[in-house]
Amino acid sequence: MVRRSHIVRANRFVWCAVLGLALNLAVGPAIADVVAVVSAKSVVTTLTKAQLTDIFLGKVNRFPNGAQAVPIDQPEGSAARDEFYAKFAGKSASQIKAFWSKIIFTGRGQPPKEVADSLEMKKRINENPSAIGYIEENMVDDSVKVVLQQL
Amino acid sequence: MHRQITPSRPFRTLRAISTLLLTALWHPAAAGTDAGNAAASMFSFSGFGTLGVVHSSENQADFSANIFQANGAGYSRQWSPDVDSRIGAQVIATVSPKLSGVLQIVSEQNFDGTYWPRVEWANIQYQFTPDFGVRLGRSILPGFLFSDTRLVGYTYPWVRPPVELYCLNPVDTNDGIDISYRLQAGDLVDMIQGNYGYSKTKLPNNDGTVRAKNSWGFTNTAEYGPLTLLLSFEASHLSATAIDPLFDAFRQFGPQGIAIANQYDDDNKLVAIEDVGASYDSGHWLVVGEWSHANTHSFLGDQTAWYASSGYRLGKFMPYLTYADVSAIGNSSPGLNLMGLSPGAAAYGAGLNAGLNSVLETIADQKTVSAGARWDFAKNVDLKLQVDHTRLGVGSSGTSINVQPGFIPGGTVNLFSAAIDFVW
Repeated sequence: MVRRSHIVRANRFVWCAVLGLALNLAVGPAIADVVAVVSAKSVVTTLTKAQLTDIFLGKVNRFPNGAQAVPIDQPEGSAARDEFYAKFAGKSASQIKAFWSKIIFTGRGQPPKEVADSLEMKKRINENPSAIGYIEENMVDDSVKVVLQQL
Repeated sequence: MHRQITPSRPFRTLRAISTLLLTALWHPAAAGTDAGNAAASMFSFSGFGTLGVVHSSENQADFSANIFQANGAGYSRQWSPDVDSRIGAQVIATVSPKLSGVLQIVSEQNFDGTYWPRVEWANIQYQFTPDFGVRLGRSILPGFLFSDTRLVGYTYPWVRPPVELYCLNPVDTNDGIDISYRLQAGDLVDMIQGNYGYSKTKLPNNDGTVRAKNSWGFTNTAEYGPLTLLLSFEASHLSATAIDPLFDAFRQFGPQGIAIANQYDDDNKLVAIEDVGASYDSGHWLVVGEWSHANTHSFLGDQTAWYASSGYRLGKFMPYLTYADVSAIGNSSPGLNLMGLSPGAAAYGAGLNAGLNSVLETIADQKTVSAGARWDFAKNVDLKLQVDHTRLGVGSSGTSINVQPGFIPGGTVNLFSAAIDFVW
């Protein structure tokens, strides 16, 4: 009896894994995990979700250690950007746009500068130890350091 | 004379800022090519707008969200595009990380019915530190949760912020100085802002100008994760002289007439407005509540307003419900005591009493239930539909404007509104 239930459980696990993989393949690169990265030369090692969100929403302009933080965005409408804000800030593209509109149209600030894609993001981060951005997990290499990823 | 000379200097400064930024606004390409990349990245251009239409069940008065507009939906037009439609363009010039300037120009229906653009924001900002900044020039007071972006429909869920509360502040522009300081403690971000200045706004129907002098106030905005809490206080000395002839007539009746005139006229009267607002935005649930009290010490009324609203995001849709209430203290007056007056004087006095009460009737006292939805159907564009059911207080014409002789105070009004908001 004990053995049988183990088999059932194992079976279920396999099915879940197969289903999960199938879903992953079906949606393709859009679901590739996005991670927050800084330059490999940066002293920053890890950030909480709230710290990361505050930097990208312009509420703070420093890392917790006091060093200057310069956030960089992927282009509006890109899958990486939408996933980054959905995952770490819990907000949709239109919520983020509405948030920044409140700041822009009261003359209080500007959203982060944008780069064309993850390759340019890595280049810019590598050039500037203060920069922080986000790229697909499979784009991570020695030039950057992951400071937060989805659990 | 003296009064006219004092504002002219800040006005000239404002005009200088405007000219400078306008040049940039109309020649963005020139800024990019002639002065190279540095100048191109120095200016950032953006804009917003709303295309809206409103239908009202009332045909003896106009619904308008703003007392400074010439007309609205109801009496003037069955379907009015003038209530919510507007367009705004803005340029921010970032000279250095410390020094920047903003110019925002908005076109919406004016007091005279035209859409001639006006300068909404024009100021120079200096950040002594990233958390401490000073602005000189024109800005919009941040006294309510949505007051400084009330024209940017894309920034809030409704077709417009609830008029019950947002009509309390007769003047929301400030030409002067504002200082802001931001504090951080863990995940708490707190911004305190103080302002001092004056303003001048023209009223429709040749009703003259509303002037606010020595305006000062502060606003504290605390943000903690999805929670925002706002506390504010604004005081100014307001003059609205449109119905001064009525009060001059009251003054002819000796001490009791003078007392009434002094109680209700609006010549340099203190206006004090307090506001408490809170919002919770979890990503799915949005809950907003706000309370405010405004005492104008004049015929403009002593009112208390609050609203509560909640919406739930289902992907790109957000249905919402709102309840809003504004109540007025003293929106009627017994007027002159006519006992013992000659028949002629008594008849004249009765006419003045009726005149005064018809003015006090226009102090808003109403309750509204609204239901609507926002649909973010495309990038940077939304569509909103909203229905409002309003019950007017006894003897009040509510927030209506252009009230006609055939209007019966204290009834109900239904509104249907549709709006498309966009930003770029």
